[in-house]
Amino acid sequence: MTRLILSTSNVMTGGPSIMRRPGADRSNLELINSLRSNFLAAQEDYSPSSTSNGSSPRSDQEESQVRPPVSTWTTRHASDFYIPTIDWSLAGLFEERNQYDITVKLFYLPAADIRDRAQHTKDAIQLVLRQLGVQYIDLLIVSFPGLSFDGDCEWEADKKNSAQGNDNEEVASWAVLEELYDQGTVKKLGVAEFGSEKLSRFLTRVKIRPKVDQVNIKDCCNVPPPLLKLGKLENIELLVHNDCTNILPSGTLRELLGQGPDGAGVLSETKRGLDGIKGDLTPEWVVKYTAVVRDRGVIENKGYFAVAQLKE
Amino acid sequence: MGLLALGTPLDWPEAKEKADQVRQWGIQQLLAIWNKAKGKEKDALLWGDEIEYLVVTYKDDDPNVTLSLRQADILHALAHDEKLCDDGGCVPALQDVGGTALPIFHPEFGRFMLEATPGKPWGIGFRDLLDVEPNMKLRRKIAKEHMHPEEFPITLTTYPRLGSPGVFTSPYYPASGEKLRSQFVPDEIANPHIRFPTLAANIRARRGRKVQVNVPVYKDKNTPSPWKDPTVNYDLHKWPEDDDVRQGAAPDNFIHMDAMAFGMGSCCLQITFQAKNITEGRTMYDQLSPLGPILLALTAATPIYKGFLADTDVRWNQISAAVDCRTPEELGEKPLKNDRWRIAKSRYAPNSTYISDDPRLRKEYLDPNLIIDPDVKQQLMNGGMDSLLATHFAHLFIRDPIVVFAEDLEELDLNKTDHFENLQSTNWQHIRFKPPPANNDIGWRVEFRPMEIQVTDFENAAFSVFMVLITRAILSYDLNFYIPITRTDENMQTAHRRDAVLEEKFYFRKNPFPIRAPRPHSANGASNSGTNTPHILSRPPTPTGPVEDEYALMGIDEIMNGSKRDSGNNFPGLIPLVESYLDSMNVDVETRCELASYLDLIRKRANGSLWTASKWIRNFVQNHEDYKGDSVVGEKINHDLIGAVIAIEGPGKKDVANVEKFLGSV
Repeated sequence: MTRLILSTSNVMTGGPSIMRRPGADRSNLELINSLRSNFLAAQEDYSPSSTSNGSSPRSDQEESQVRPPVSTWTTRHASDFYIPTIDWSLAGLFEERNQYDITVKLFYLPAADIRDRAQHTKDAIQLVLRQLGVQYIDLLIVSFPGLSFDGDCEWEADKKNSAQGNDNEEVASWAVLEELYDQGTVKKLGVAEFGSEKLSRFLTRVKIRPKVDQVNIKDCCNVPPPLLKLGKLENIELLVHNDCTNILPSGTLRELLGQGPDGAGVLSETKRGLDGIKGDLTPEWVVKYTAVVRDRGVIENKGYFAVAQLKE
Repeated sequence: MGLLALGTPLDWPEAKEKADQVRQWGIQQLLAIWNKAKGKEKDALLWGDEIEYLVVTYKDDDPNVTLSLRQADILHALAHDEKLCDDGGCVPALQDVGGTALPIFHPEFGRFMLEATPGKPWGIGFRDLLDVEPNMKLRRKIAKEHMHPEEFPITLTTYPRLGSPGVFTSPYYPASGEKLRSQFVPDEIANPHIRFPTLAANIRARRGRKVQVNVPVYKDKNTPSPWKDPTVNYDLHKWPEDDDVRQGAAPDNFIHMDAMAFGMGSCCLQITFQAKNITEGRTMYDQLSPLGPILLALTAATPIYKGFLADTDVRWNQISAAVDCRTPEELGEKPLKNDRWRIAKSRYAPNSTYISDDPRLRKEYLDPNLIIDPDVKQQLMNGGMDSLLATHFAHLFIRDPIVVFAEDLEELDLNKTDHFENLQSTNWQHIRFKPPPANNDIGWRVEFRPMEIQVTDFENAAFSVFMVLITRAILSYDLNFYIPITRTDENMQTAHRRDAVLEEKFYFRKNPFPIRAPRPHSANGASNSGTNTPHILSRPPTPTGPVEDEYALMGIDEIMNGSKRDSGNNFPGLIPLVESYLDSMNVDVETRCELASYLDLIRKRANGSLWTASKWIRNFVQNHEDYKGDSVVGEKINHDLIGAVIAIEGPGKKDVANVEKFLGSV
């Protein structure tokens, strides 16, 4: 078993990959584009023959010709495979810790085994703490698979939401978050895409209550009144996001790592006769972190880690 | 406008004789501030908006609408409202207010104007952004409560019939006073505080003639061609300046105006931001500069002057001309003999320098013909200032101080900034870089000045909040909007054209993103020496390649909403940039929805699905029953327009003509 650790580095300086396209709400484009551009950047930077400064577009054919060996820009360490190599000496933030609001959102992906969630959570938080050079984060939001807040009318969405997901599994997974909270590693917990009924059931079953419910709303801005009411009553902040829940489907991941024109050339595709690692690929979790200088509203660092298991 | 010192103002040319002394002392004060504050760090984002109002006297049943000249009385009423003062609002202020800070009211140049600012600066907490619009409404309400029942504070950029024949002020005063010598407006149109008439008189004296504010008239189907301004009197012989019109001051096809009040009597929407430190302030100054003309065109609200429809949509050039103190030599009309240089622009003009020590600032972006005072620059550099910033101030200091008080010349006080501010605050550039004031904790600030005031508080809040958000996006994404600064001059002119928001194209940078820096420890990165801090990554490389390839002509829609697939520019759009920024922030649903309504207004103004105020006003006039297709905005039309402007901020909003095309669904 190999653990693939994909990373974006700081996407704030990554250019157009982070831009929302007009009309594209709820998307994983930011994740996918910034992973891809970080792979490309690492290939350029670590390739001894490269003379490009990272701005010149090249055709597909040139791309595959100049694509450097995978080993130059990635790192294998025991069973961990870092794509690309992470230079931890560059980790950290500019100012003192108390200047920042650090928000982390953890996406449990549907294909992962839910019994591994506790470990996944700890792994994700460790990576983020190391990347930002900090001891704690201010807000950790978790996104469970199978939940949505979709529909033309959010009233409907709220009702539909009630039957989605799996209450028992979600409550069971919450224990590790409470542990992180008790340790002081996380100051505040949050959930994503919980409708009013689901949220009120959840509140009765957990020890440390979420302080945030992050929901996706479309242009109409009609937050379902029951949810608004519950938020006010229980003092739970309703925050907005536009991520999709299944942020890294395995097909997308294969394409990202594969031999195609937009791929990183890490995964083997035997029919094209090219080398690379082979096996079953299971995306397990994605974590997004954002460090904002609080009283200036400036985002200094934002990025993602994505982890997948490879059965070779 | 800040606190108004009292004293004995010098007339021209005595003031001129003291110009060098004021400049010298100004430089010394500037160096004192600079040395004290150049290391100032970690200031929070604080920001403030300024709303300016015209005060009109309006009755439903009286076609004659006038400008109320009771500014002093209204301010007095506000200042002596004890309850208001106890709660923190006062006149004029700058006092430290805690708790629920009530708005603060200030005098302005026009005696028919008021300015109101929030009682304390805004922060970046998103809740603060939600408070802006209610606070603007509160300001309007408080102002109204201290006026007569028939007086109303309105937010039009200019009064449509200022300077028209007949009665347009209450009380009435005849034109042709000693200070302004205008054949259209009385001296009493200006704030009577001695600073203002002196400013107007000394600008006129320095020029050697009256200011000339000429706006092309809009040629409608019945407008004569050539058109001669029928309100110009060629037979006045009271003042020497009455000769101006006989010497060609009023060319055919232009609405002719002749006094500072026609420009400085305009209302603007200005936003000031406090930066983290001087470096961030300089970055913001540079990056906001190219946005100026875009926001000017987008906020267009000035289609009428002196009772005629104009062929332009914005106020900027008229203010520029109204305070243009340049002599014939400086203007290039006569060979240089007494003056030191020819000067390309009025002291009210788009800015002329970039000041950031950003490696992305290429020397090609600077104006090769920039006029500076080399002695001033040298002095500032001897005092430790770097060349770029010294150049900026050495450019501002090519001007003479206009209003000089005798009392201020007795002793130089380096703990004050009055002489520096004398020059600084009469360089009305579209972006202003503001050093910290003396003796308090305020940091380095940048003021964004090109926007036109909007008719409603909703719009004013929308544009204010948008500007705050775009500065946050600029700093977060390290955006780069640099274009050659003279292109911004051209863009400012383009922004004047009728319906420029939809019809014109502007020079704008195609790719605003930083070039990625290679990893420092990689094969192609920087050497391994040096410190291992993230700072290395944050310093993008200097761009290469021809400057002309970096920018293109784009419409406002493309700049605001992003390039269409077929454009080839691939510009992401300022609104998508702001939305991407918001997507990365923790914003609650209520705030996000409010922000969405602001961004929606701006998006639709940019793509033409909603009208600018200019278009709405123009349409109102042209569809009025009294309008004869001859460009004349008569008293009845003016009355009904002012009535609509009052109604649109009240319960009568839904009945206002075309309100849905102007503001969207009501």
